Formats: sequence, C-alpha cells, structure tokens
Amino acid sequence: MVSIEYTKGSHGDITVATKKDVIIGRLPIMLRSRCCVLNLRDEAELARLGECPLDPGGYFVVKGTEKVILIQEQLSKNRIIIDKDSKGHLIASVTSSTDAIKSKTVFILDKEKIRVVLNQFIKPIPIMVIMKAMGIESDQEVVQMIGRDPRYGVLLLPSIQECVEENVYTQQQALEYLETKVKRFSFSYGSVEKEGRALSIIRDVFLANVLVRDLHFRPKCIYVAVILRRMMEAVLNKDAIDDKDYVGNKRLELSGQMISLLFEDLFKTMNSEVKKSTDNLLEKSSRSSKLDISQHLARDIITHGLERAISTGNWDVKRFKMHRKGMTQVVLRLSFIATVGHMTRILPQFEKSRKVSGPRALQPSQWGMLCPCDTPEGEACGLVKNLSLMTHVTTDDEEGPLISLCHSLGVEDLELLSGEELHAPNSFLVMFNGLILGKHRKPQHFATALRKLRRAGIIGEFVSVFVNEKQKCIYIASDGGRVCRPLVIADKGISRVKEHHMKELKVGIRTFNDFLRDGLIEYLDVNEQNNALIALYEGEAVPETTHVEIEPFTILGVCAGLIPFPHHNQSPRNTYQCAMGKQAMGNIAYNQLCRMDSLLYLLVYPQRPLLTTRTIELVGYDKLGAGQNATVAVMSYSGYDIEDAIVMNKSSLDRGFGRCIVTKKLTAINQKYANNTMDRIIRPQRVGRDAERMQILDDDGLAAPGEIIRPYDIYINKQSPINKEISVHSPAGLPDSAYKSAIQTYKGPRGETAVVDRVALTSDKDNNLCIKFLIRHTRRPELGDKFSSRHGQKGVCGTIIQQEDFPFSERGICPDLIMNPHGFPSRMTIGKMIELLGGKAGVSCGRFHYGSAFGEPSGHADRVEVISETLVKHGFSYSGKDFIYSGITGSPLQAYIFMGPIYYQKLKHMVLDKMHARASGPRVMLTRQPTEGRSRDGGLRLGEMERDCLIAYGASMLIYERLMVSSDPFEVQVCRACGLLGYYNYKLKAGICSTCKNGDNISTMKLPYACKLLFQELQSMNIVPRLKLAEA
Amino acid sequence: MEHGSIKDSSSSTFSFADEDHTLANSVRFALNQDPRVTFCGYSIPHPADALVNIRVQTTGAPASEVLKDAVQDLMVMCQHVRDTFDKAVVDSKVSGSVKAMKIKP
Amino acid sequence: MPRVSALEMDDVPMGQLPPHIQLQRTRVFCASDAPTQTENIQYSGAYASMGVDNSFRLDDFVKNFRVEVARLDEDDIEFDMIGIDAALANAFRRILIAEVPTMAIEKVLFANNTSVIPDEVLAHRLGLIPIKADPRLFEYMSVKSDQLEWLPNGSEFQLVTDNSTSNSNSNSKPKTYTSFSRSQTSLPEFSEDSIALKHNDITIAKLGPGQVVLLENVEDEKAEELVKKCPVNVFDIEDIGEGKRRATVARPRACTLCRECIRGDDWENRVALRRVKNHFIFTIESSGALPPEVLFTEAVKVLESKCEQHTSVIWTDLTEDNGSTELKLVIANQKA
Repeated sequence: MVSIEYTKGSHGDITVATKKDVIIGRLPIMLRSRCCVLNLRDEAELARLGECPLDPGGYFVVKGTEKVILIQEQLSKNRIIIDKDSKGHLIASVTSSTDAIKSKTVFILDKEKIRVVLNQFIKPIPIMVIMKAMGIESDQEVVQMIGRDPRYGVLLLPSIQECVEENVYTQQQALEYLETKVKRFSFSYGSVEKEGRALSIIRDVFLANVLVRDLHFRPKCIYVAVILRRMMEAVLNKDAIDDKDYVGNKRLELSGQMISLLFEDLFKTMNSEVKKSTDNLLEKSSRSSKLDISQHLARDIITHGLERAISTGNWDVKRFKMHRKGMTQVVLRLSFIATVGHMTRILPQFEKSRKVSGPRALQPSQWGMLCPCDTPEGEACGLVKNLSLMTHVTTDDEEGPLISLCHSLGVEDLELLSGEELHAPNSFLVMFNGLILGKHRKPQHFATALRKLRRAGIIGEFVSVFVNEKQKCIYIASDGGRVCRPLVIADKGISRVKEHHMKELKVGIRTFNDFLRDGLIEYLDVNEQNNALIALYEGEAVPETTHVEIEPFTILGVCAGLIPFPHHNQSPRNTYQCAMGKQAMGNIAYNQLCRMDSLLYLLVYPQRPLLTTRTIELVGYDKLGAGQNATVAVMSYSGYDIEDAIVMNKSSLDRGFGRCIVTKKLTAINQKYANNTMDRIIRPQRVGRDAERMQILDDDGLAAPGEIIRPYDIYINKQSPINKEISVHSPAGLPDSAYKSAIQTYKGPRGETAVVDRVALTSDKDNNLCIKFLIRHTRRPELGDKFSSRHGQKGVCGTIIQQEDFPFSERGICPDLIMNPHGFPSRMTIGKMIELLGGKAGVSCGRFHYGSAFGEPSGHADRVEVISETLVKHGFSYSGKDFIYSGITGSPLQAYIFMGPIYYQKLKHMVLDKMHARASGPRVMLTRQPTEGRSRDGGLRLGEMERDCLIAYGASMLIYERLMVSSDPFEVQVCRACGLLGYYNYKLKAGICSTCKNGDNISTMKLPYACKLLFQELQSMNIVPRLKLAEA
Repeated sequence: MEHGSIKDSSSSTFSFADEDHTLANSVRFALNQDPRVTFCGYSIPHPADALVNIRVQTTGAPASEVLKDAVQDLMVMCQHVRDTFDKAVVDSKVSGSVKAMKIKP
Repeated sequence: MPRVSALEMDDVPMGQLPPHIQLQRTRVFCASDAPTQTENIQYSGAYASMGVDNSFRLDDFVKNFRVEVARLDEDDIEFDMIGIDAALANAFRRILIAEVPTMAIEKVLFANNTSVIPDEVLAHRLGLIPIKADPRLFEYMSVKSDQLEWLPNGSEFQLVTDNSTSNSNSNSKPKTYTSFSRSQTSLPEFSEDSIALKHNDITIAKLGPGQVVLLENVEDEKAEELVKKCPVNVFDIEDIGEGKRRATVARPRACTLCRECIRGDDWENRVALRRVKNHFIFTIESSGALPPEVLFTEAVKVLESKCEQHTSVIWTDLTEDNGSTELKLVIANQKA
C-alpha cells in the first residue's frame, strides 16, 4: 500500500490545493523486505506471528499464493559489445536503455564497409553518413578521433569511399540521404514533422544512452569513434572480441527493477486515464459541482495491474514493447531447500530451445558468483543458473556525485579534448556506466584513489573500478544488476582481517557490516576481479596478492552446499544432487502444520545429517532436514539390488525409517448467488440412503478432523438453491424443496487410509465462505519408492527383507539398507564413501563431522586420515569395513563390508502415486477409445513402435485384437452399391443405406469407431470415402 | 509335503510351508552330518512366498526317513542346549549371589 | 627345505587331520584383505579321504557342548555357547529376533488427540513400546498364512486385540500401560511425555564366534607397539624372563575385529587373527517383558516345536504309501 501526496489545481479562480496521503493503489510487498511487517523481527516474534524464522522471504503473496519474481539474466545495457554474427561479420552492438527509450544500435562490418543497422531505417546506413549527419564533415577528423594508427585508416577507407559514392559530403546532404531511408510507419504523421525525422532519430534513437543537448553531437561522435576503434581493434586482433557469456557483460534484473518498470507504466496509464476522464467531465457543459481530481483517481489500475502481472507472470510494458511471460513462479514448497533454492534461481534471457553450447557452458568468470553445480538437466541445462552463497546483486547508485568526483580526481573532460588527444598514448579513457566521461593520464593512480574512497565508505561499496589495459579504458560502474561478492582485502599479501577481528566476530561485537565499514572486506564485481589477485587462503598469498577469499565453499550455492565432500565427487553427481535435493521429503518450515498447502510431503522422523557442512548450518538445513541417517552396508544382497535398487530392512521400516506423511487439500466454497440466495451446509442424515457415506461428518455438516476418509465418502453436506437467477424476496426463508444437494465426495485411491487432518474456514476473494479440508495419509516405504543419498545416487527400493535375514556386524549392528557396490566405480562418488566414514566416526565419538566443499585446508572438512584415526580409536577398522556375518547362515561373509551411516533422502516419487493398471474402463466420448493417463484410469497404449514390432513379427491377429477388439470396435452397415455407411433400422430389423434409400446391398462389418469417425469427418469436407467390400 | 518319485525313494524334495532359513538351515546342517546323505540343500523359490524346498539325496535309505531322523536329531540337540543353558544360568545365578554376598560385608 | 618327490613323501596319517586342515576346519582366518574359511564344513564325508569321519554324533555333541554365562542381570544376558554349529546358533538368533512373541499394542482407538503428533504417528510410536506382559500367558495367535482370513478391507485378525485382553490380565504390569492409557485421555502434554519415555530395550540378539588371537612370539618393542596399536586393549605384555617380554592376548572378548593389529607392513605375518568357528557369544537384551534367559529358552523351544511339527508331518507322509502322496500332489496342483 502506498500513499502519495499530490497537488490539486482547481480551475477558474486559481487556487492550488494540496491533498496529502491519497491512495493511488496498493503494491504487493516482498516478504521480509524493508517494508514487510516481518522485517527485523527476531525468532520469537516471528514464531508468535506464526511465521517460520528460517523462511528466506523474497517472495510475494498475491491472491493467496506465494509467488517469486525470478531473477532475470540479461546482457548489459548501454555497453559496447563486439561480437560476430552467424555469418561471420564483425558486429558492435549497443543496447541503449534510458528513462525514455530503449533502442538497439548495431554496427556491422560487411565487405570491409562499416554500416549502422537501426530499426528505424529500412537498410544499413554507411557509418560515414551518420558521422556527417552528426556534423563531422571532415574525414580527417573522423580518422583523428579513431586514432592515427595507419592500420585503422586503411580499415576505414572503404567506408569513406562508400560515403563518397553516395555523394554525401555535408551534414545537409547526409540528413537528406537518411531521410530517404527512414521507415514510414503510417501516413498519419504530419509532413511538418517529417522534415526533422532523420535528425530526431539520430538524436534520440541512435545510441540513445548518449544524451544530446541542443544538437550538440560531439559526445555521440566520440562514442561512435570509440566503437569504431574497438571494432578495428577486433579486426586486427581476434582477442578483442567480447564474450557475450562473460558474467561481467551480464546484468541480473531483480524483482525491484521489474516492479518499478511495471509500476511506472501503470502509473502513466493511470495519469492518462485520469486525464481522459477529466476531459470527458470538462466537456460536459452542465456540471454541477466543482472539479476535484482526487475523486477521479482510479486506484485499481495500479493495484490490479501489479496483481495481475505477479499472479500470471506476464510482464507487459507498452512503452518498451516488453512482453515477457513466465516471470513469476509459485514458490516451491516441496522441501525447505527447494524454497531457498527457488529464491536464488536465475532465468536466462533467451529461449531454451536453442541448441547452442556457448551460453550453457560453465564460465570461468562465474567463479564465486553463480553456482557451478546447480543447474537443471535437460533443455534448460546451463541456462538456468543459481546464485552462489555470498553473491550480492547491486542496485542502482546515484551517478551525479560520482561523475563530479571523477572530474575532481583528474578526469579530463571530453568537451575540452580534440580528437587527436583522445587516444594519446599513456592516457586511458574513463567510461562511467557505459558513457565516456573523459580521459585520465594516470589510470592506476586514479583507480586506487577511487578504491580507497570506496573502502573508506565515501562512495557506495558496490561501485566498481576496473582498469582495462588492453582497451586502455577505466570502467567505473555503479549501475544495478551487477553480481559481486565480498572478499578480504590484503595488503601486499597480508590479510587485513586479523585474529582479533575474528575473535570479536565470535563474541558478537563485530558484524559483517563492521568488517565492510572498516575496510577489511570489500565487494568486487566480476570485472574488478580481473584487476585483483585473489589468494584462496592467507597462507597461499604472495606479495602481489590483493585479496583473500573468505571461504572457498561459498562458490557453491545453497543446494550444492548440502553435499558433503562435493570436491571428491565427479562433477555431474553434484549437479544431480542439486536437482534431487529439491525433491527430498522432510520439513518445509517451522509452521508447516499451520499452513494449508495443496500438496505437502513431510517426513515423520526427519533427522539432521551426521555429516554436515558449513552451508547446512548457515542455511538452517540442520534445523529443517529432509532425510534420515541410514546405516548403509555396501554389498550385494539377494539380487534384488541390481540397477541401483536398494534392499531395505523391514524392521527399520517398522521403527519409522522413511515414513512420510502426504497431505492434500480439498476445497469447498459456500457460494453466494446474484439473487441473494446462497449455498447452505446442513446436518448429515444419520439414517437413510447416504448415512453410511456421511459417517465422517460432524453435526455441522463438515468432515470432522481425525476421521478416516475413504473413497466416495462425503466430506461436505452442502446444498445449493435450485433457483439462482430470479430474485427471491426472502433468501433466508427458502423451503427445503428449493435446494438441491451439492455434496462433495472424496475421490482418493482405494485401500489408502487417509485421515481428515484439519478443516479451515476462510473466505475467498468474493467473500464467500470457503472451507478447506486437509487430508493426511501416512505412508511407509514400499517396493519401488525412490531414495537417494546426497551424492546424486538415486535408487528405488528393490526389496524389503526381514531383519533376521539381514547381515550383522560383530557388535550386532544391522544395516538399515544395503546398497550395491556397482554404484561406485562408474559414478566415482568418493564423497559418499567419505561421508560414510565420517558418519561412522561421528556416531562413535558423538560429534558431528564436517564435509564442507574444499574445506580440508581451513578445517571446515575433516580429513580421511583423521576420521580413520577416530574409527580406530573406537574399535573399528580404519578402512570403515566391518567383519560381517550372514543373517541367513550365521557364518561370516568372505569379505569385509564397508558399512556406516549415510544421510538418505526419500524423494517425492512414490509407487503409490504412480502405479496403474486397467482392464476395462472409461472411454473418450469422441473416438470411443480408452482414455489416456493414470488420472483418468486410462488404458496402456500399444504405440506405433510396438505395432511395428507386431507387424514385423507377423502377429496380425494380435494387432487386430489390440487395435480394434480391445479398443473401439464398432458395427457398421455398409452399402455394397455406393460404398457408404448406412444405418440399422430396428423397426425393419435391417440395415438401410441412407444414400441409396434402400437396404438391398447392405453388409454388416466391424471397424474401429475412429475409422467410422474419419469417414464422416472426410465426408463433411467433401471427400467421399467409399468402402469396397470383397469376400474374405 | 514331499515331491519325490515312487521308483526311487532315495532322493526327494520336501516343501515346508511357513518356514524360512531358520529351520531349513538347521535341517540342512543336521542332514549334512548324516553319513547316509549324499546331497542336501534348500532354497526359497520366491521371497514373497513363505515356503522352503529341502532337497535330500541319500545313499539308498528313504529320503523322508533320513529327513525325519535329522529333524529328530535337531530336536534332541535343542533339548540338550536348553538343559545345558538352564544349568549354566542356575550356576551363574548361584555364583552371582555368592559374589554379591562377598561384596556386601 | 630339500625337494622331495611326492612319491617318497610320507602318507597323510589316516584317521587324523593334519594340523593346518584341522585349523581350517575350526577357525575363521581374518586376513587383512578378506576373511577366509568362513563356512563350516558340514558334510559328513568331507574328510573321508583322510579317514576322518566328519559326521555328527549326538553323544559327541552332548559331551562337547558347553554354555558359560558371562553376565546376567535383569534385562541382559551375555553367555558363550561352545561346541555348536553356526547353523543352529544362528537359528536361535533368528528366532529370538523374529519368532519369540513379545507384546505390543496393535490397535489404538483415539478418543481425542489434540497434540501436534498425528494419530497414525502416535499409534506407531505406541506400537513400538514393548508391553511388560508375559506373552506365554496369552492365547498365541498363529500368523500362518492359511489361517489368515480374507476381509474386505485388507488382512485383519478378527480376534480381539492384544491390549484389550492384557487389560484384564492381572499379570500385566501397569507401568507401561498407564502411560498408554493416559495418552488416550486427551492430555497432549502427557501423551507426549509417555512417548518420550525411553523403552529402548528392544529385543535384540547378537552373536559372534569367540575369538582367539594367536601370536608368533612378538617380542620387546614390537610387543609394546602391538599393545599400543589395538584400540580396544586386547593385548597385554608378559615377562618371559631374560629381560624379554612377549605380548599375549589378555582380553580376547574385547576384540572388535578392527584389524588394526594386522594393518601395516609385515604385521600380518606376526599376528594371526582367527576366530573359533563353534564358539558363539550371545548377548540378549530383553525388552523387559521376560527375563533374557527365559527368552533364550523360549527360542530353543520354538525351534523344537518346529521340528516336532515337521516330524509329525513327515511321519504322516511316511505312513501313507507313496502313491497316494503323488495323487495328493496332483490334486493340489489342480486346485492351484
């Protein structure tokens, strides 16, 4: 909700009135943001409010659903990007974005001639024409601006020649030339305006980010010159081509930017709407009251506009011609990690179908910024990314003060420089947010000065300074959407963070922000990282080192951070786990039992992993775990463990291992109708026809919590009025006969004992009484349920075996599950083995062991040697292998078995939700063929490939049986004379041809109903299929 | 139930319903120790069925006779184990109480 | 050793096993890579070529079988069984785990449950609490498959549930029971308290053959090193005079078979880690309903009754002539 002050000017007598705090609309607020009521609350307060303290926030609640506006990845705006197009032409493109306009300017080098492609022109324009149109009529000046290197001159020559061929010498001629090339959109434009079109395009659209004041084109010319210089550099030297996938050339658009964009558009729409309605009002001659604009403010334009956009995910901004879909998603509440992971997701700018490897590949520049592991498999692989643990995305910073600061630090203004001086040796161009600010003679000096100011907190901590030696440029950036991360500053290889700082942090005197303020830590963006020499650990620093990493495990994101010893695993395994961690059942939040989720998977006894990582502690996975520590024996057992299947101990399952709760939501609405009548909920009948189905109903007509609900049970005894349109004078006094039953019955799978967990009475958006039932079902693991460890090693339960048949160790320890050792050689998940060792050691010594990524040198991960020592101390073999007895014969096994606890996740894919079989059942109305899909109790399709097999085998009768007899057999009357279908006349007991009007030549035959349908459809489009029957 | 042949009674398979390794393995042990047995073994055809098949082949004696003897041997052994165990427990209880008395003063 | 032709070598003495084979027969060799000789040689004719009869004599068994109780208290027993085959010992273990009856709650009727714990979970937890009642005093329901009745909503026993009968039984100690009944009476705090009650004594049995570590005169420093090496203090040092010391196995029962003593260079040659095949250490922890020694007797009785039952079956089969047996089979097949 935003209240805005506005000024009201009344007509006639000129009085200016102001009215404060007028509501123009309501804005959804991101949870736990600064405006949110949950902001800065401590754990107890959040608990009191019924919120989970571990919930990350960052999403919106719109129309009762939680929605995230996903981070959007885009190419940098207002930056020169040199690239090659599909045909191999060198291209320089600038996507300009200002408050007023968005445009894309492309410079293309085609057959040695440089041309400009702009949407507003019908064809590419020679660059020299543009230069001349901007007032630089002398070719020499252009060459000077680009630089006097003769190689550049040679490259520019064809362009100059082209211009001459077009007979363009002066600015006037250039503009006239351009005028002919301007696209004519419609004829409505006045001819007066036409004259200046070319000039206005050059001024406002061409490189729109370089502002032109009073037709002062010089900054734009220099900008063009810089672009040309970079292009020629790229022609001469392939390295100068920019990498589009380089993270430094990318910007992440956060929800704030997205909403501000939408808000601006809606606000302008609202203004024009207000203007229109006021105009309408003023046109009317007979106005009684004085005009008060505040009465005409339409509040719902902004409110509804934002609500619609967030709930549908369609972003339509008319001004920028932006139509984006799928910007928002419903927050995943499958597990806690899924929710947190969802907040860090980054959507790509291009569509997923493109089969290109470049943007999907792992970029070295994403180190520490974007998680190298967490990306989906399949079509979106490598395109959808996730933020790393410490990544910060910048927001826009004010430009004005920074520009004047740069000038006072010795940046020579562009205005005062001649073209010749621009590229003088030893001087660097200063680029500020894509604009050329001027040049500086001592680039390093200037950069260090700016950095010092930043560390002192005088300029924003997210301003980045980057000296590009190759391009002889200093890039200063304060724009939003850059990714950056904190690093410890080191002076000559000595970290600024000392022991006493860390002590203070531990005691709690110091916070992270104190470190930042005191200049011990600073944020570096991707570009500035190129000017830094970053040591992984302080011990590895050399005198040239400028920064030290805070912790190497922070290069991973939240999902990958759960994996213990990920640096010992084969990399794809970590990626698989990132996807699977989101499907693991466990806890979703502290308030999970107060929520009304439509589908919720919970583990009955979730545990904290025995082998933790620092990320787990930081995120809170140890408090909201999604898995259990299972004692795993790595051995082959029973043959029911092939292909990654696992053998489970029945007694473990009896004790509650892998037991889960599934809750589903049912909704019933007590509808109000237009004629003031409404639905009613009545007492259940305790005797009579439906009494049995109404057993679970309370006297209020609703299912009672705790009752076992079976299929076809009625959970709400509702009646709705028969007459819903015609108004009734006493809606409350309707007789019983005016109502018809509108009961709702539960349709669950048979044999499942579900229970009504909770009943909530709320109201929906139209103020109808809305009743929600939560149906709970407790499941114990069964054959075919899917489990996985934290190393991308998924497997289904292959068999469940009695504990007495299970192998046991010298101490009587019996494993909870048995995993086949063949899962290891090809997967190379050494991390899992170390997890087993660490878990075993942890169990025996009573301490949680750590396995953070790359954590061995810094003590955040235990070394195998140390773990082995602990094992030996507690009487286990150093290798983690135990002497095992067979539970069947009682004699020892002829191998030592690798056994110990591993954290196992139960994944949401369960057999109960998937198993399906059908003999006969429902059919589709149109074709009379069996329905498709489990949800419709559909048939199992004998597809084309199966049919091919049968044809090849020659099993024609089987094909006949599958494709017709068991599918859609139909008896038709065929007229042998005309070959068309007739009908059966039951009165005459004979088939009659409707075309021949007799029944003389009728034969009865069987064919698939779909075939008959095809004939009729063909007939309806004037194609006559005729059947020619022959005696078989 | 016995699955054998009329002609040759020296080898046959016995199906024990509602039994598992517990009995079958013990019986196999007892059978193996019998000098009349040339081969014996057991299998559980399917984990979902509570059924064991015990195969007995003898040097000539009827297989069922041999099996019966084995099972009876097993019973005798069990009785002996129980007796010995009970005795040992009683002994230890006595000695334990003696120990306890020693500690008290 | 000079090479001698096989023909000139002495015959293996008949009627007696050579020492290494005797060792293989009675010991499990725990090498550093894998255990070997794990299986018992059960076949009676295994050593017939050496004139050794491996067959079984009941009187031998009676003579050699020993039980030594190491520890006995209210809930635990630890005893050694010496001179018994793994098959039998394991059978006892399996019966202890699976077939000795214990009492547990099977059906729970919830009058009102307002605690955070859902009904099913609470019922599951209640079901895990062992009830201190002697199951021998109850009519034991057989779980044989042919006695199961088919009911429309799944397999259910029609008989009254255990807890209702135990309620009337005076033998059932009320301690576990009160907590259970209280949890029914809509007091969520109490119900949770009762769940938290730790009845962690679930009938569990474990066994392992006794261990013997044989040493080949590990002396002096090496001996000390060995003592240090073993994390569970199996070894001790013994003075053998002349200033020499030797490591001995002082506490063989403490060995967890971590194989630390045979790890590393050459240690495997110095220390031989073996286990006696027919020596079993049983540890039985009772859930509280019955004393552990009774549990074991019960287990043996179960096996006995199994034998008895099957002897009678075989006996009846035997009395009928073979032809009819075959006929019966055919009928059975037809039925199937």
